[in-house]
Amino acid sequence: MPLRGIRTSTAARNGAGAFILQCKRLDFHYCNWAGSSKGMVAFLEKTLPTFARENPQIEIRVSPRPQKHPLIKGLYINGREKPVCVRNMEPHEILKKANLLKEASGEKLKRVKKPVTSLNESVRGIWSPYHGDLRGV
Amino acid sequence: MKRLQLQRWSSSVLSPRARTVNRLHQHIYGQRYQSTAPPVQTHDDQTTAIFEESSPLDEQLAQIVKDSHTRHSQLQYPSPPVEAARQSAKLAALHARLYLPSRLPIETLARTLVDTSADPNPNFNNASLATFGHDLLSYYATEHLICTYPRLPLTVIFAAMYAYVGPKTLAAMAREWGPTHPTARPYETQKNWRKTVTSKIFYDDEFGDPLKGAKHSAAGVTTEQASAEFVRAVMGAIYLHAGRAAAKRFFEQHFLSRHLNISELFNFQAPARDLTRLCARESFERPVAKVISETGRKSRHPVFVVGIFSGQDKLGEGAGASLMEARERAAVAALKGWYLYSPLSVRVPSSMEEPSALPWKPVHVDLGEVIV
Repeated sequence: MPLRGIRTSTAARNGAGAFILQCKRLDFHYCNWAGSSKGMVAFLEKTLPTFARENPQIEIRVSPRPQKHPLIKGLYINGREKPVCVRNMEPHEILKKANLLKEASGEKLKRVKKPVTSLNESVRGIWSPYHGDLRGV
Repeated sequence: MKRLQLQRWSSSVLSPRARTVNRLHQHIYGQRYQSTAPPVQTHDDQTTAIFEESSPLDEQLAQIVKDSHTRHSQLQYPSPPVEAARQSAKLAALHARLYLPSRLPIETLARTLVDTSADPNPNFNNASLATFGHDLLSYYATEHLICTYPRLPLTVIFAAMYAYVGPKTLAAMAREWGPTHPTARPYETQKNWRKTVTSKIFYDDEFGDPLKGAKHSAAGVTTEQASAEFVRAVMGAIYLHAGRAAAKRFFEQHFLSRHLNISELFNFQAPARDLTRLCARESFERPVAKVISETGRKSRHPVFVVGIFSGQDKLGEGAGASLMEARERAAVAALKGWYLYSPLSVRVPSSMEEPSALPWKPVHVDLGEVIV
């Protein structure tokens, strides 16, 4: 066989064509009795319906977690989850946290050193010592 | 040794309130139907008992909760009932996440998730949608590849097709779309035997693999196969409900936008010989390898830069640690330069299906690779 094809699969570039939100579920936990959940209960009653309507991509679950601090837990497409404790927070602060979880990719936080990361080859190419004329020293 | 905290333990056990509220909220806010862990099986009399305890709840609320205790009735058939799709939060989220057209009903999306191995009834499983979606995907991918790279060798076209719409890619896409696994039964492996390359065009599928008689055996399928069927079924469902334009847009956004470097799909066995044959076929001058520059011939790490020339034209160039290696690389570069030719304005045949399409001009399709 003179020439063979090598089987691979294409790599995803989220956002290059379609964009898929990485947060797939948000769990809201609260306690009916504890004071640290006061803001959370208000958030669930007032803000959450609007938040859910604006973000139909996210499945939202609300469940009580008695005798514990309130919590928002984000579940991501890569299988990881991100819990954020929202004890003693006001509803607008909780909304900020919910947005933070919504926009997260689910990956571990890491320092980004390069301004651009790309799968494509460099357009300019790599410098080669064997090409081009020798310069006079 | 840790002390047992008696007070906390007793409060959590003795309070019936927490349990009631928990179950209630589970059913009101997060209704779980398919593809989630099943909630605890409850009989009807138990449910009513709970409601009698919690008197402040209004009757409507009680009815909602009572209605949602239909897990048992949902499981009596292989696929969930059609009405259940409307109440699934996961399906609604998946629909919105993929920006599926609103004309595609959520019931059809639910059906795309039912594999043949889970429900053999063709009225309820995704087999018909998947077959249709499979044909669409193959058609769009083939025309894109052949019109964009008219000189691509057949084996590389097969590999590129596999990369774009092969089961591995489709399964990866299904993972990235984030649904839970489609319902399917587990399986056993099968072995296939290959025929010659040319026969692949006529007898085999679009990836150069032999066609199997029945797609799914009674033994079941792998998760990869089931996920691929799901993605195909989504494609078919979009075409059926939202039309050709939406299907094509979906293909471009989700399939063609993925990254594939076609120049990495080549595996040459004898590039210098192939190049000689190619030059003879195209009536170019016989290719000659010449050293362009070199360094350290007698050292431990020599580098040779060799170019392959056909008359005055340089076809390719490569650097290597020996003259032979550099020559092979130069030949590979020359062959890739030929095979990866791409015309500037590419128009695919399916663009003629649009209502106000310009008259069709035949695309350039090359002879293909040299037969050695």
